[in-house]
Amino acid sequence: MSRMHTPEETKAAMHEVVAEMYDRIVKGEPPTMTLPVRTKNNIAFDKKLGVYKYGKKQSIRDATSLGSAKQLLRALHVVEFIEEMLDAGKSSTLREMYYISEGWGMGKFGSQNDSNNLAEDLEIVTKCLREDFKLRPEEDGARMIGNLTLRERNRRGEWMRINARDDVGDSGYGVPYNVELEKIELLEHDIDFIMAIETGGMFDRLIENGFDEDYRCGLLHLKGQPARSTRRIMKRMSEEWDLPVVVFLDGDPWSFRIFASIAYGAIKTAHISEYLATPSATYLGITADDIVAYDLPSDDLSKKDIEALNAELSDPRFADSWWQDQINMMLELDKKAEQQSLAKYGLDFVTETYLPEKLAELGLA
Amino acid sequence: MSGIAQKLASNQKQVAISEFFEKNKHFLGFDSLARSLITAVKEAVDNALDACEEARILPSIRIEINKIDPKKDIVQLIVEDNGPGIPQKSIEKVFGQLLFGSRFHAIRQSRGQQGIGITGVVMYCQLTTGRTTHVRSKIATEPTAAVVDIGLDTRKNKATKANAGREIWYNEDGSSKEHGTEVTAQMKAKYQKGRQSVWQYLRMTSIVNPHAEIIFVDPEGERHHWTRVTERLPTKVESIKPHPHGIELGQLQRMVSESNDLNLNHFLLNNFSGVTNRARKELCQAAELEGTRKMRAIKGDDIRNLLEAFQGERLVNGQPAKLLKPPTNCLSPIEEILIKKGLSKTIDSRFVTTLTRVPNVTQGNPFQVEVGLIFGGSMAGDKPVEILRFANRVPLMYQQGGCLLTKAIESVDWRQYGLDQAGGKGVPKGPAAILVHLASTNVQFTSEAKEALADNGEVMEEARKAMLEMGRGLRKHLEKKKKMAKTKEKFELINDILPAIAEKSAQLLNRPVPELSGSITKIMSAVISESTTVWNKATKQTDVDIVLFNYTSRARAYTILATWPEKSGATMENNDTGGRKEALGVWAWKLDALQPGERKSITFSLSGLERGDWTETEVLFRGSQDVIGATKMDEKFLQEIRRQEQLFKESEDENTPSEQTLDQAPVASAPPVVEEVAEPAVAPPEGQRTLFGGDV
Repeated sequence: MSRMHTPEETKAAMHEVVAEMYDRIVKGEPPTMTLPVRTKNNIAFDKKLGVYKYGKKQSIRDATSLGSAKQLLRALHVVEFIEEMLDAGKSSTLREMYYISEGWGMGKFGSQNDSNNLAEDLEIVTKCLREDFKLRPEEDGARMIGNLTLRERNRRGEWMRINARDDVGDSGYGVPYNVELEKIELLEHDIDFIMAIETGGMFDRLIENGFDEDYRCGLLHLKGQPARSTRRIMKRMSEEWDLPVVVFLDGDPWSFRIFASIAYGAIKTAHISEYLATPSATYLGITADDIVAYDLPSDDLSKKDIEALNAELSDPRFADSWWQDQINMMLELDKKAEQQSLAKYGLDFVTETYLPEKLAELGLA
Repeated sequence: MSGIAQKLASNQKQVAISEFFEKNKHFLGFDSLARSLITAVKEAVDNALDACEEARILPSIRIEINKIDPKKDIVQLIVEDNGPGIPQKSIEKVFGQLLFGSRFHAIRQSRGQQGIGITGVVMYCQLTTGRTTHVRSKIATEPTAAVVDIGLDTRKNKATKANAGREIWYNEDGSSKEHGTEVTAQMKAKYQKGRQSVWQYLRMTSIVNPHAEIIFVDPEGERHHWTRVTERLPTKVESIKPHPHGIELGQLQRMVSESNDLNLNHFLLNNFSGVTNRARKELCQAAELEGTRKMRAIKGDDIRNLLEAFQGERLVNGQPAKLLKPPTNCLSPIEEILIKKGLSKTIDSRFVTTLTRVPNVTQGNPFQVEVGLIFGGSMAGDKPVEILRFANRVPLMYQQGGCLLTKAIESVDWRQYGLDQAGGKGVPKGPAAILVHLASTNVQFTSEAKEALADNGEVMEEARKAMLEMGRGLRKHLEKKKKMAKTKEKFELINDILPAIAEKSAQLLNRPVPELSGSITKIMSAVISESTTVWNKATKQTDVDIVLFNYTSRARAYTILATWPEKSGATMENNDTGGRKEALGVWAWKLDALQPGERKSITFSLSGLERGDWTETEVLFRGSQDVIGATKMDEKFLQEIRRQEQLFKESEDENTPSEQTLDQAPVASAPPVVEEVAEPAVAPPEGQRTLFGGDV
């Protein structure tokens, strides 16, 4: 399990990366940075942790091409920048770092994506977290509604007690980017499970229909591919409160991927899967079966959809037979459906018929 | 070309000129208001270029177009040249007579094969505006210029002249003009822009006439200036006699009836090329005619028999009569270096390659194909390439699709050479222009409009081969460009990034900055070649410098080869490294082992060239390890050079015994002249004193 590091530990870990480059030059070799291969071909199930982690394949980024050499130089600038922040007790967003890199001359980033990837590279190699580096993500966390209570430390350093049903407006409780113990404590709840929802439209529909109270659950809006903090707070609630997590998404290949990143770990963040993934999460719908069973309005699969489904067939995270059946079925149907297609049968169909039936299958209703 | 002439000659008496003009305006080039203006410019400019060429004067031509009455599409055209001028008494003939100077028997490559000449313009002006054409002309030996207004009496079908006189001709700057001709005409016509415009015609003309200076003032008063890029005049073309293979019945009939020869034997020997004494005998035998037969006695069927013998339809001992090929030195190609200059001055680009094939013969007519390709620069990358077609230095601007030269371009799969082409067929797309020039004593067109060349297997094959060779040049250029970019990146890596990594890592770890030489060798892991080709003002020579760096950890041995313009008459000097001739235009140096970190250079100078003639030397190598910045020697390419060299020698031998003298060596066809313009050079690895001890 990853944990926060002290500034000294963080610096020491970063210096190992710097020393690898330095020592290679001293030996008369091109400088290098060694990191795990970050593709689906190099993730493996970790039985002990119950999540997917990077395997043993290493890739060596060496300075024999201009692109790689620039990445190494950037990494050094990032290390220097983080050290300065650690010393000054400051933090910055990844986007701010991207703009700060304007002053790094040849080491400046080509795009925001470059700087995000490099921050992840450093996390992986140093086994530190983004939080250790004092780097914040840009993306905001999810919204949450339900009868659960937590404590958040505000900017003035004071702890605030918040009930995510009684103390919030219609938009719910906004999950901050840092959800670690130093910032958030989970206090108590009176719910039976947590339901993660892909789209804002469906989240609002369930709230309007009073689903959280009728079915004693916490609702969590994922906003598409969930941010790290969203996945992290799901995991904490699931573990600390021992609550089941069900995931309600669109019925398309991209939703399958969202689920995989929630339950098994995302490929991009496989180095911290055990810290972000919720292995007990269950995929509620929309399944390929649902499209047929509920005769849902659907769209034809696009070329990209089909490519994505085929890629999932060979993804180790979808290797079990249930997923293989679902993926093959969707390919056969050549159809996909949105959550909100359930509105075909009226605005209450989802809360009165669909979800109760699906939850009953899981023994939750 | 005799088609129109005949028609004109036979029709002249019965049909009024106006009617004749109206009926035939489509092939006279006056079928639309826009085209009429181009035709008028064309006739005047062609006359100017021809006159200058004949008098060995470097042409300066000024064209001005003014809108006189835009509502009625009346424009004024003024064309002024610095040609030899026309003696007063000849002006009428040149401008008012339809068939002036036609030579049925002389066969030569000339611009005048197209159109009916400047007389057509005079006619057109008269018919559309009722106005005469004002001519002013001065010859060097007379103090004043002759002026006259030429018109046509449409009732009597005769040229008219008025206001004849003499005047002093002042230039714009007040000095008096030495010699030249100026034509001022008013006609119904429309000035327009675009691909088929006066501007485009002049631009194309300037490409294939690099020795000419052309100034064009358009109706908006804008001045377009195409400068002269060479002082070299085109070679004087020699007339040759017709070859029996290229004769048509009508022509033979006329030749027989006009003959003053003693008998058939003399007729054959005196009036044809390629007819040796033995061939003469065989032709007579095949035609079953006595060689001693008087020309008067040769009539209808005899002529037909003779023609069949000419064409090999009548045999001697089961074989056609053996004829020599016609001489090919009657052709005047533009030549590779000059096409290159013409293209470069007109089109902004990064790469030019040109190629002149060895002359060949089709149906008794000598012909020669030249091509040029210009790539990159500011040309649009997503449009079909611009096709520039020429026949005997005359731009072809219409009927592109139906032209043999276009078909030759379309027959090449350009994708393999780095241009886009849907399905490997049709006109390719990309930032390029392709030039094709056919020089021939008898250019065959698809129609009287004379805008598209008729199909001909041999011409097609020559053009196609030339394209393929040029395509290879383009591919090499693109590959080299890619490699250069890669090399440039590597230099950036070792000169900028690596030192920065070393410095920053040392600073973060608080250790000394490490030594870089080992890493550099590992990173570069290549032998790199750089070459410069520069004009040396002081010596009037082109200095070439080829440098080789070994950035690997092992010793390397190579043979380095370089192209040089041997066939353009250059000589190699100060070549201290020695070496030997590999093939025509290719020199080779065998180098001793190049040690790790070592640098060697080859230098030589080229004399006998003008500034700008040779600006890029292609460096090739033989050896196992790749050399960045040089091309691995393609032995097939070398074979093709040697084959063309051989052909060139053979054609020279064939031409020698003929009555013609070679006043200029025809050009063998390899290697193509290649120029790369303003390509950013790779910076030498400055500051890497560790490897080269500062002698970089």
